[in-house]
Amino acid sequence: MKNFLNIATGVALGASLWATSVAAQDPIRTVHMLSRPQAAQPAEFQAVQLIAQEWRKLGLDVKVDVMPWSQMADAVWYNRDTWDITAWQMTGRPERSDPDEILYNLFHSSTAEKGYNFIGYQNPEYDKVVEEQRITVDPDKRRALVIRAQEILAADQPNMMLVHPQQAFAFDKNVFDESTVVDQSGIGIRSYWTWLALTPTGDQKDIIVNSSDNVIAVNPLYISGVTDNWLTELLFDRLYRVGADGLPQPWAAENHEWRDETTIAVKLRSGMEWHDGKPVTAEDVAFSYQATTGGEAPMYAPFGKNISDVTIESDNTIVFSLTTPSASFMTSTLAKINLIPKHVWEPILADLSTKDENAESYQEDMPIGSGAYKFVRWLPNEEIVLEANTGHFNAPKAERFILRQVPNAEAALGMLRSGELNFLTDFQGDPQVLLDAAEVDGDLEVVSTVDIGFRYVAFNLRRPPFNDAAFRRALSASVDRRLIVNAAFKKFAVASNSVVSPALEFWHASEVVDDFEVGADVAMSILREAGYGGVGDKLTYPDGVTETLGD
Amino acid sequence: MSTLKPILIRTLQLVLVLWAVVTILFLMFRLMPGNPLAAYIDPTFTAEQQEALIRQFGLDKSLLQQYFTYLINLLQGELGYSFRYRTPVADRIWLLLPNTLILTFSSLIVAYAFGIFAGAFLAWKRGSRTEAAALPVVLATRAMPEFWLGMVLLAIFSFSLGWFPAGGTRSAGTHYESLWQLYTSANFLSHLALPMLTLAIYSQGLPLLLMRSNMLDVMNEDFVTMARIKGLSPYAVVIRHGARNAMLPVMTSFAISVGYQLQGNVVVETVFSWPGLGRELVSAVSAADYPLAQGAFLMIAVVVIIMNLVADLLYTLLDPRISYA
Repeated sequence: MKNFLNIATGVALGASLWATSVAAQDPIRTVHMLSRPQAAQPAEFQAVQLIAQEWRKLGLDVKVDVMPWSQMADAVWYNRDTWDITAWQMTGRPERSDPDEILYNLFHSSTAEKGYNFIGYQNPEYDKVVEEQRITVDPDKRRALVIRAQEILAADQPNMMLVHPQQAFAFDKNVFDESTVVDQSGIGIRSYWTWLALTPTGDQKDIIVNSSDNVIAVNPLYISGVTDNWLTELLFDRLYRVGADGLPQPWAAENHEWRDETTIAVKLRSGMEWHDGKPVTAEDVAFSYQATTGGEAPMYAPFGKNISDVTIESDNTIVFSLTTPSASFMTSTLAKINLIPKHVWEPILADLSTKDENAESYQEDMPIGSGAYKFVRWLPNEEIVLEANTGHFNAPKAERFILRQVPNAEAALGMLRSGELNFLTDFQGDPQVLLDAAEVDGDLEVVSTVDIGFRYVAFNLRRPPFNDAAFRRALSASVDRRLIVNAAFKKFAVASNSVVSPALEFWHASEVVDDFEVGADVAMSILREAGYGGVGDKLTYPDGVTETLGD
Repeated sequence: MSTLKPILIRTLQLVLVLWAVVTILFLMFRLMPGNPLAAYIDPTFTAEQQEALIRQFGLDKSLLQQYFTYLINLLQGELGYSFRYRTPVADRIWLLLPNTLILTFSSLIVAYAFGIFAGAFLAWKRGSRTEAAALPVVLATRAMPEFWLGMVLLAIFSFSLGWFPAGGTRSAGTHYESLWQLYTSANFLSHLALPMLTLAIYSQGLPLLLMRSNMLDVMNEDFVTMARIKGLSPYAVVIRHGARNAMLPVMTSFAISVGYQLQGNVVVETVFSWPGLGRELVSAVSAADYPLAQGAFLMIAVVVIIMNLVADLLYTLLDPRISYA
């Protein structure tokens, strides 16, 4: 009897000790991960499913919420306290060849409340590094700072970087001279330079390209979409342009001179004309820059914000005064702002300033620019026709640039093969299909390029456990990026661990990607070291931390 | 005088139906989850600019106020401004509606013309092997998904044989001075051929089977037996006496089919890159562009309602046995 009592007490004591030790660690709630639908974003959807699977193996209960883009944007932008994790992407644009925009806007604490830093990353050390690189003009010193920024992010893992997609484009070798196609770093052969240099070799003198999206607007003061942008790039000139190597080169400007750290004088090329025949003047240039900060072009405002004054020194010299020095000014501003005719837009903007609408609501019937192509006509939802501006200083070799709207990916490929299109600029299908078609049909040339843009998974740093860097590092380490590249992107992507793409060779911190250790065991040991319990089973917080956001 | 009252009642019913459709449309979009502002307001906007946009969209007012503004505008023929394009909804719809109507009506006319003759023919061939072979084929055409049919036709007639183009209403860069010039050009007709054929193949099942079934009934009627006894030719019996009567329900189903056809339009317009209202409607809905989606939906609803009215009127006209009351 005494023995039995002893044993019973011992068991009860042991059980209560065990119970209290387990109860001491609070289980982590079910977390929700947002994704776009499979039909709209098959790669994103697939990647999210694979990642959720790996996280469940660690012991995290993940539920994937699929929703259309507008709903997702609403949650992520306007309800920053409510979501846990989301898939997201940043598009590659020529102006993003300079890493400043991405490194600053995505992670600086000033953009956490309303801007692109919707994850709520607050790191004073990072802020300092990224502020300094902005004003460091010496390229090597600046590079060291940009590398440091990437190292900080790799250690903190505020975002789980996935891949830089490899976009594949194709064209008809029988119609165009292959050697005239320009592969722009981080952008691909679907580049501005191609549209100028592409030389027809036979009877077909038009460049016929496709897009699966509707063109929303052709407006130099409105960034309305990727496809729309191709058109405004061709219709309007800029002072500088991002070259095929990713560096700014003079375009409407002949040259520039940095008078001091915050003053730059730009000399306008002479002999330029608007499409209506009137000459392009320094007043037009000054007007174009002032228009961005006048309040009617909100999407361009951030790029003109740093300009405190624009003065016209002589017939063809414009002087920009900046508030603070800016190392990326030429790429992110001078190569971004479209030159617009003052005689067309001044009355329009004056009228708009009295109304609620801004310049984004205004659509010119015949957009007037000074660019290499002129506007001819727009058949809604069907095609847009531009013709070469033969008087331009760098006139295109082709006669016309015709954009056809083709929402069906298979049809687009078929049209390339049949000749209805001669340059495939938008292919939403499996790139392998494109390669196979090119092999069968010897006329096609396919070129794929690593994009400046990237896909990633964002953690909401305002909500535990995502406020713990160790937890984020573990989640990120648990997924081998090769799995994402192969299974979700069908090998048309490169693994990423930095927002600066390998396409930007000078700025990319390759060690940060190469030295990134991944694996389930790596992830689990990170979690254990950080004090998390239930690893591999049902994750619990470290001792003393309780779940505050339960369902 | 006695015909005026039913017409008045009919018109009132029409207005009531339209009002119900308009109200349901209005509520439907606003009850969908998600905030259209998220899609249209760039995060770099200042607070002032965001508010200006909200005011421009009319989203700062209460739901009831928005509803009455919407109704009042509608009565004046004002369909509002598209959130996405920032241009008047009406302009966009008028540009795209003709493309959809041409596709719908041309495919239905072909489907019905074929269906009526084929249906009569199959009724004539009752019990034969032709009928046994043909019926499953007809049923299959009705069962297959339109987009699949479209893709198959595209693969065969466009990509393999190269007989027809694969998308759009005309070849790249071609210009026509007027719509009439466009619609009567060989270029346009060759672009219309495949999408029209897709919809026609899908739609012909209904008139064919309906016609056949009606013919079988009609052929058993007394007046047909009488015609035979009179010694009339097979043509006179089958076509003049039989088919003309069997056709009545089929004609009214034509009018109603317009409504069903418009659903299929969306899919065919996407497969063949046909710039029509169906595709625009779907893209407006997924982009949370309320005014454009409402406008497009409403236009389609109006067409359907009018065609239903036409169906009613047609029936009374064609069949002297039916009076308006």
